[in-house]
Amino acid sequence: MRQLTAIERLAAAAHGREADRCPCICPGGMMNMVVAEIMERCGVSWPEAHSDARQMAALTYELNRAGGFENYGVPFCMTVEAEALGATVDMGDRQTEPHVTVPAAYSAAELEQLRPFSLAAGRIPVVLEAIRLLKARRTPVPVIANITGPLSVAGTLVEMTQLLMELRKQPQSCHRLLAKVTEALISYGRAMLEAGADAICIAEPSGTGEILGRRLFHDYSLPYLNRLLDALSAPVTIVHICGRLHSVYAELASLHCDVFSCDACVSLEEIKPYLAGRALMGNVNTHALGCMSADKVGQLTRAALQRGADIVAPACGLPLTTPLANIQRMVAATAGGGRS
Amino acid sequence: METKEEFLAELSRCVVEMEDDSIAAVAEAYAAHGYDPLEGITAGLVDGMNRAALLYEQEEYFVPELLICSSAMYNALEVLRPLLPQEEKNSKSRIVIGVVKGDTHDIGKNLVKIMLESAGYEMIDLGRDVACEAFVAAAREQQAAVVALSTLMSTSMINMERVIAALQEAGIRDQVKVIVGGAPVSPSFAEKIGADGYSANAVEAVKLVDRLLAE
Repeated sequence: MRQLTAIERLAAAAHGREADRCPCICPGGMMNMVVAEIMERCGVSWPEAHSDARQMAALTYELNRAGGFENYGVPFCMTVEAEALGATVDMGDRQTEPHVTVPAAYSAAELEQLRPFSLAAGRIPVVLEAIRLLKARRTPVPVIANITGPLSVAGTLVEMTQLLMELRKQPQSCHRLLAKVTEALISYGRAMLEAGADAICIAEPSGTGEILGRRLFHDYSLPYLNRLLDALSAPVTIVHICGRLHSVYAELASLHCDVFSCDACVSLEEIKPYLAGRALMGNVNTHALGCMSADKVGQLTRAALQRGADIVAPACGLPLTTPLANIQRMVAATAGGGRS
Repeated sequence: METKEEFLAELSRCVVEMEDDSIAAVAEAYAAHGYDPLEGITAGLVDGMNRAALLYEQEEYFVPELLICSSAMYNALEVLRPLLPQEEKNSKSRIVIGVVKGDTHDIGKNLVKIMLESAGYEMIDLGRDVACEAFVAAAREQQAAVVALSTLMSTSMINMERVIAALQEAGIRDQVKVIVGGAPVSPSFAEKIGADGYSANAVEAVKLVDRLLAE
């Protein structure tokens, strides 16, 4: 068949349509794609790029242009949502990601402590503008807009340890908090799509079966992810959940996304039967990407393809020290189609 | 409840069944009967925490359950610990624990702290987003036997290596065992940065520390 553009290829792979080959992407957001070499190449670095649309767009543009992943992705952290809702964020430095230092509330019961959500709050305008700038380049490269999942946002608005206990002890307060967070994320996601995003990736690192177990995952993680997914008419939706998942395999079947992405500790072959109708994305080990040889990365990429990845991606965020050569090899090995 | 055995069983049950609101009253009644506070801790609370850890290993319990069990344990400890004679307050070795710079995810660190504390270690918790120098200073001042480092972010893993280098530079690397853990951390990473041990979860961390300190 004819060669597809990267936008067409991602959409085809996500919807189970025939594609010329498998795409190789790294969404951004929690799944960090920025590495030090790219910062040096374009003279733009963290932490400034987190608060400046031009710099944000420049970093992800450069990574793709340099033979890196077949997408753009913004932002580069998972604190934009929590910051807009009232949490205090330390922007990190050249080597560390922004992170929440002071939660917005002590308990899920203190909803009034949250800042009313607005698309003008915090760095939301920066992210939206970065999406517009990337679309304005008119390249055939998909822009992936990243949203932090409802439970993971809630776990930074209220101290995660506290929230986890309240999931059992104060279910009503937790549901009210999650509903409010989800409402904010829906309006953020819709604005990202209006700005031109080709795909939405929701990362839910805290809402995993490994932390919550089956019952709490079913009650608190799944319904709000689905509410968010249902409200966003995105060309492509991706959900990434961290950690081991065997306790919630059966629940994953009812996730309303196009693409499901998992951690390196999850076996693609094992999880595939539970995700009928969804594309499977993953799960090249980021430790290997960060510090092993390009040959090893090529081998792991081919292994991911052979085990059933419909879209090849890192299993988690990349360490900043990841050599660009390893990313390039991962992309090349994916394009080579799993042949050794 | 009258006999000591009944009270110990009830303290253990309150921990394992997450009764963090009612356990303090049980501990007070236990103490009012004049029963041994140390036994209340070891045969009651720690017994309950061990049963909770077993349920966690069997995946009957997950993190929220284990956190509420530990909150019950701490609520009763607050009652019983002040009653201990001074010499019994001295615990096993001291352990400095924290989430390295650049990361504020601390559930894993909290779980490890809870399990090590219930195993009798004295925990110096530096919190999260902790600078390398703070680990070194605490290890030196507290004469810690172990420094335990956690992170959930692959971008912060490099700071584990930096803590080890800083301990080396301060000349105290051979006086402490360094253990690392967290989702992106692997045994091969631990080995690469020269840590003494890696643990995949909180229950394993206790076994790891016991083993390292017995060496």
